Amino acid sequence: MSRYAMVIDLRKCVGCDACTVACRTEWDVPIGHSRTWVEQNVMVGEFPNVNATNWVAQCNHCDEPSCIPPCPTGATFQKKDGSVVVDTELCIGCGFCVEACPYDARYVNPLTNKVDKCDFCEARLGEGLLPACVTTCTGNAKFFGDLEDRNSVVYKKVYREGAWRNENENASIGPNVYYLGTPEQLEIVKEKFGPRQSRMATPAEMWKDVIKPLVFTAVAATFAGQAVAFFEQLRKGEEPIDE
Amino acid sequence: MSITRREFLKRGTLAAGAITLLSNTKLKGMKKYPTGWKGRERVQEIPSICEMCFWRCGILGNVDKHGKLLKIDGNPIHPLTHGRLCARGNAGHKLAYDPDRLKYPLMRVGKRGEGKFKRVSWEEALDFMTDKLKKIKSEYGAESIGFFPHGIQARFFEHVMKGFGTPNIVEPAFAQCRGSRDVGYKLTFGNSVGSPEPLDFENTDLMVFIGTHIGENVFTGQNLQFAEAISRGAKLIVVDPRFSVAAGKADYWLPIKPGTDTALLLAWMHVLIYENTYDKKYIEQNAIGFNELKKHVKDLTPEWASKITGLPADLIVETAREMGKYFPKVGVHPGRHVAWYGNDSQRGRAMAILTALLGSYGRPGGIYLSSKIPAPKYPSGKNPKPGPRADGAGSIYPFGSRGLGITNGLVDATYSEDPYPIKAWIVYSQNVLQSIPDPWKTKEAINKLDLLVVVDVLPMEQFLYADLVLPEATYLERYDDLYTVKNAKIPFAAIRQPVIDPLYESKPGWWIAKETAKRLGLEEHFQWDTIEEYLDYRLSGLGVTLKEIQASGIVEYDKGTPYYDFSKPVKFKTASGKIELYSKTLKDYGFDPIPVYEPTDDVPKGYFRLTYGRSPVHSFARSQNNEILHGYMPENELWINKQVAKKLNLLDGEYIQVENQDGIISSEIRLKVTPGIHPEAVYMVHGFDQKSPFLELAYKHGASDTYLMSRVVVDPLSGGTGMRVNFVRIVKNGEPIMIDGAVSVVSQFKKTKKGDAPKRHIIVPEVHEEAEASDEGC
Repeated sequence: MSRYAMVIDLRKCVGCDACTVACRTEWDVPIGHSRTWVEQNVMVGEFPNVNATNWVAQCNHCDEPSCIPPCPTGATFQKKDGSVVVDTELCIGCGFCVEACPYDARYVNPLTNKVDKCDFCEARLGEGLLPACVTTCTGNAKFFGDLEDRNSVVYKKVYREGAWRNENENASIGPNVYYLGTPEQLEIVKEKFGPRQSRMATPAEMWKDVIKPLVFTAVAATFAGQAVAFFEQLRKGEEPIDE
Repeated sequence: MSITRREFLKRGTLAAGAITLLSNTKLKGMKKYPTGWKGRERVQEIPSICEMCFWRCGILGNVDKHGKLLKIDGNPIHPLTHGRLCARGNAGHKLAYDPDRLKYPLMRVGKRGEGKFKRVSWEEALDFMTDKLKKIKSEYGAESIGFFPHGIQARFFEHVMKGFGTPNIVEPAFAQCRGSRDVGYKLTFGNSVGSPEPLDFENTDLMVFIGTHIGENVFTGQNLQFAEAISRGAKLIVVDPRFSVAAGKADYWLPIKPGTDTALLLAWMHVLIYENTYDKKYIEQNAIGFNELKKHVKDLTPEWASKITGLPADLIVETAREMGKYFPKVGVHPGRHVAWYGNDSQRGRAMAILTALLGSYGRPGGIYLSSKIPAPKYPSGKNPKPGPRADGAGSIYPFGSRGLGITNGLVDATYSEDPYPIKAWIVYSQNVLQSIPDPWKTKEAINKLDLLVVVDVLPMEQFLYADLVLPEATYLERYDDLYTVKNAKIPFAAIRQPVIDPLYESKPGWWIAKETAKRLGLEEHFQWDTIEEYLDYRLSGLGVTLKEIQASGIVEYDKGTPYYDFSKPVKFKTASGKIELYSKTLKDYGFDPIPVYEPTDDVPKGYFRLTYGRSPVHSFARSQNNEILHGYMPENELWINKQVAKKLNLLDGEYIQVENQDGIISSEIRLKVTPGIHPEAVYMVHGFDQKSPFLELAYKHGASDTYLMSRVVVDPLSGGTGMRVNFVRIVKNGEPIMIDGAVSVVSQFKKTKKGDAPKRHIIVPEVHEEAEASDEGC
C-alpha cells in the first residue's frame, strides 16, 4: 500500500510562482483558474513590526475527501495510493464538489466543462517523473513521496520534522499536503488560509442520509408492491402476457 | 395493474442501478480515465538556454512530432539550477507563439511614432540599412553610429559594429543597473563582481542584503542557494525600506530611510573596527589603508547613523556584532540593480570595504573567485581603431565601463550633438524607452537621428519610431554565441540551439549579422560558413564538439578550488596589489578615497520617494505581453504605507495616479496598502504601462516608473543614473491629495537635472584591456 503526500516548506518558498506556471503549462490550465496557486509575501502587523509568509496551496488529497460524497456520478474518487482524482468521462461539470472542497482546490474548466484539480501529476508519476511543481520549484521547497515508505523524504518531514496539516474547526478531513514553517508563518497560515466550511454539506448529507434511505425505501416498496401484484396475478390464475 | 416477469426483472435492475450510482464506489477503477497529457506527445527534449531574462538557465524544450513546442522544462544537469526554472522560464513558449510577434522586416511609411510600416524583403531591408550606414559613416565617421545591444544574441551584430569602427556601444546593464557596484568592487578588490554574483551561500553563516530582493528579483540558481542556506539555518540581515520577500525570511529587517545606506555601512565598519571584531589577520595581510579607514569612521558611530537612517542605534550595533561573530563566513550581497541615488559607486565601495573587514572575499562562505573559460574567439579581421567615445565612459566618468558603455551618456550626446553628432542608432533587444530614464529626452534624441534600426522579437515601444524593423527569431528558434559562466564553482559553457524552427520570416541574430557584414565589406570578420562551425571552434578550447554536447547542452570546466590560498601572499588586481580600503586612484581623480555619506535630497512634504523593483513573474519591460505572465500580473500596484494611507483616506485596491516633482502624471495604478513599506516611500514593479499599441496585452496596463523619472542624479564615478531621486504625490480623481503644509514642488528640482552636468570634453581613452561587453545582462 502507498499513501502519496506532499510537504511544502514555507521557510524555503519564495512565492515565485514557478510551480503554478509549470502546472499550468503541463496541464493547460486556463488563465484565471489554477490547480495550484501562490500568494507571495502575505503580511501581518504594523510597520516596522511586520511578519509575512508565502502561501502555496493545491488539492490536499484528503483522507476523508468531502468532494467525493456530493459527486452524483462517481467521477471523483480516491485511488489506492490515496490520491483523489476526477474521471473526466463521468464528470458532468455540476460543480457540487467545487463547493464542497473546503480548500477551494477545484474548478470547472470552462473549455471542457469538467472539473479539474491537482492529481499529483498522475500521468507524470506513471512515467517515473515527479509532479511538475516539485521538479521546477526554485527554492526546493516542495517534496513529494509515499508516507508509507519510511525512507521517503515526506515520511521524514512529516514524522520526524513534524510537518503540519492545515486543518481547523471548519474542516478536519486529513489533508495530505503538509506544511513546514516557522511558528510565525504557520500562525499567518492559520489566520488567513485555513479551510472554510464545506458549502454543499447539507445537500451532500441529504444524498447520504436522506435521499439514499428514501430511494432504498421507494425501491424496496416498488419491488414489494410489484412482487405482491405479481403473486396476486399468479394467485388469480391470470396468465402473464409475455411479449 | 399488470406486470410481466421480464418487466419485473428489468425494473429491479434499474433500481439496483440507482443504488449503485448513489453509493459512489462501484465505478472505482472500472474505466481508464483519460488524462490528455501532452507529455505523452513529446518526441524530443532539446536542451538549450533560456532568455526570458538574462540569467540563461538550462532548459529542455519538449517538442511533439509536428515540431511544436509543448512545454519547457529545466535542464536537470545545469550546474546552477538543477532542472529548476522560474515562472518566466516556464512560460517561455508563449513568447515564441505570441501573436503580436514581429513577423517580417518592416520599413516605416508614416511619421516616427505613428507605427505605420510596409513589409519588405530581407534583401531590401538589409540593403537599405547598410547603404544608410555607409553613407552616415562617410559623412560623419563611424562613431556617429550608436549601438544598443542586450543579450548574447546581439554579440554577432556587436562584432559587426566594432568592425565598422564605432566605439559607441552601450547597454543599460551598466548605467541603469549594476555598473556602480562593479566600479566599487573593482576599485577595492581589483575585480568587479560579475554575474551571477559569486556568493558562497553553500557555506555562509550569515547573509547580508542591502536592497537585494531575492525571491522577487529571481535568478533560479541564486534563489535555490538562498533557500538552501535559510533551510540550513544561515542567518539573514535585510536592509530595505520595503518588507521584501527576503525580509520576510530575515532575522533582522532594517527598514532604512531610503538613500541613507552608506551611513549604515560606515557605522557598521565603526562597530567592527572599534569593537575589534573584524578579521584582523586578513586585513593586515591583504589590505592597505586600514589606519586611514579607522580614523575616517571614528566619529561615524551607530548613534550618528541612527539619526540619519532612522534605525535604532542598538539594532545597528547588534547586526554589526552578528557579522563580527560569523566572519569570514558572511555573504554580503553586492546587489544587482544599484543605480539609486547618484552616489552609488561609493556605496558599492562601502559594501566592498565591509566585505574586506569581514575577510570574506575569496574565502569559503563569502565571495568565491571566478575563472576564465578557455573558449577561443573565432579568428576575425582586425577592428579599426575606434574614435573617441561620445558617452563619457572613461573620460567624463572615469570609471564608466568601456565594454558596456553608458546609455544615458549616448542619449545625451545624441540629444545635444555634443561632443559630435550621432546619426544612427541600432537598438538590439533593448527597450530604450522603458529602461533608460527620462524617455522624453530619449524620444527627442531619436528625432535627431537619420536612421533608427530596431532588431527585436516583439514590437516594443521604440518600434514605433523605427525606420527599419528586423524581426529576430526568438531564443527558442536560433543558435547564439556560446554562453560561458565563469562565476560558478565549477565554471561551464552552455549552448543555445533551436528547439523549433523560426516562425514567420524571423531570422537568427548570427544570420542578420553575417548578412550585414557581407554588405558592409566586413566578410573577413565572419570567416565561418555555418554557425555550427563557429561554435565548434569556440568549444574546441573545452575539448568538445558541438555535436558532442548537443544532447546535454552543457560542458563543465573544472578549474579547482574557487578560493584564495592565503598561505602565500595574494596579489589583487588593484594598483597596489592589495585590497584598497583607501583608494589612491580615487584620490588622484579628485574623489573621496574612503566613502563618505552624501545625503540625497529630502522628500518634499506631501510627496513620497518613488522606488521600484522586480517581480518574479516579469523581466524588466520585456515580458508583459506574455499571455501566461500577463495573466499572473497584468498590471503593477503602488505600495503605500498603511498608516499613511489611513491618514490620507486612501483605500487598498483603489485606482489613483501619481504626479512627480516635475508635474508628470502617471497612468492609473492600483493602490496596495501595506504595513511593509517605509512611510517616506512608495514602490512599484518596473516595466508596466507599455505604450506600444501593437502589444495587445501589455498596452496601457499599470503605471510606468520610467516615465516618472524625469530627473536623475548621475554618479560621477561610473556615469550611472541614480533614479530613486524622483518624488511623487498621489492624485485622486484628478486632484492631488493634500497634506497640511505641503506645496507643489514643480520646477523646484529642475536645476539638478541639467545644471550639474559635467563639461563634456573628448578624451581618447587608452586601451588598458580588451574592452568587451560581457554577456551578463542585468
